[in-house]
Amino acid sequence: MRKKEEPYLTGNLTAMIDVVFQLIIFFVCAISMQNNTNDESITLALAPNGVAETEKNPREVRVDVHKDGSLSIAMQPIKAELLGAILEKTVADFGGNPDAVPVILRGDMSVLHEKIQGALDACSQAKIVKIRFAALKEKGS
Amino acid sequence: MARKRRKADNHPGELNLTAMIDVAFQLLSFFLLAIKPVDVFANLDAFRPSPEKTNVSIPSSPMIKIMVLPQNPGESGTYVVNDVALTTAQTEAKLKRYAETDTTQTILIMCAKRSTHKQLVDLLDKCAKYKLTNLSVVSSAGI
Repeated sequence: MRKKEEPYLTGNLTAMIDVVFQLIIFFVCAISMQNNTNDESITLALAPNGVAETEKNPREVRVDVHKDGSLSIAMQPIKAELLGAILEKTVADFGGNPDAVPVILRGDMSVLHEKIQGALDACSQAKIVKIRFAALKEKGS
Repeated sequence: MARKRRKADNHPGELNLTAMIDVAFQLLSFFLLAIKPVDVFANLDAFRPSPEKTNVSIPSSPMIKIMVLPQNPGESGTYVVNDVALTTAQTEAKLKRYAETDTTQTILIMCAKRSTHKQLVDLLDKCAKYKLTNLSVVSSAGI
């Protein structure tokens, strides 16, 4: 009588591969969403000696000043007068302490100071005296 | 009569990894092509004194006043340090000298309206290089 052949030992990897792909898709989407918070149209000036930005403060307000002098927060265009009111409200929400609201000013390198002045005056309106000027420490590409 | 036990043929355990390795290489190639180096951002801290406070604090302590003048295309930035016009390199040398004396002294940076933001960032970067931390940025009324 012929011997019956036993099947080789195999593992079903389908479920594992499914999970791996799910994780890859999640991370790829999460990373691209995080990058979208920075306006790519703004060319920052180089500052190789500046303090590297390691982590983001959830309270921070990033104000973008574009080449044409227009202002925006989180990619939403905003007027200087409204920016002052928003910063005042933010300071009031954090117990009226202006130091609790870090303001990061991301100005295009070619923009004139008179355009930056609008954003700085809005900070003064909200009694925010400590300003962080964003720059590029190291260019990636 | 005792039953004869048939000895089973033992096959060594085997997994077909070909498909998984294919996928792994596909992913590796994809990420190698798709990845782009990330920019490293820096923050340069400065104070923006309110107009009322500026008037009070100016006479109280000696401070270094640096004015950022408008820049002509193709020229390097021009700064006026304590009423003396200097080039970028001269300004840096001056800042180095100030830092050797005291890194906590107040530096008042006055930006002309027509000066570019790059000039201000360059100056703040030079101050950061020499650990000069007490910086105030104000806007000049003229030019």
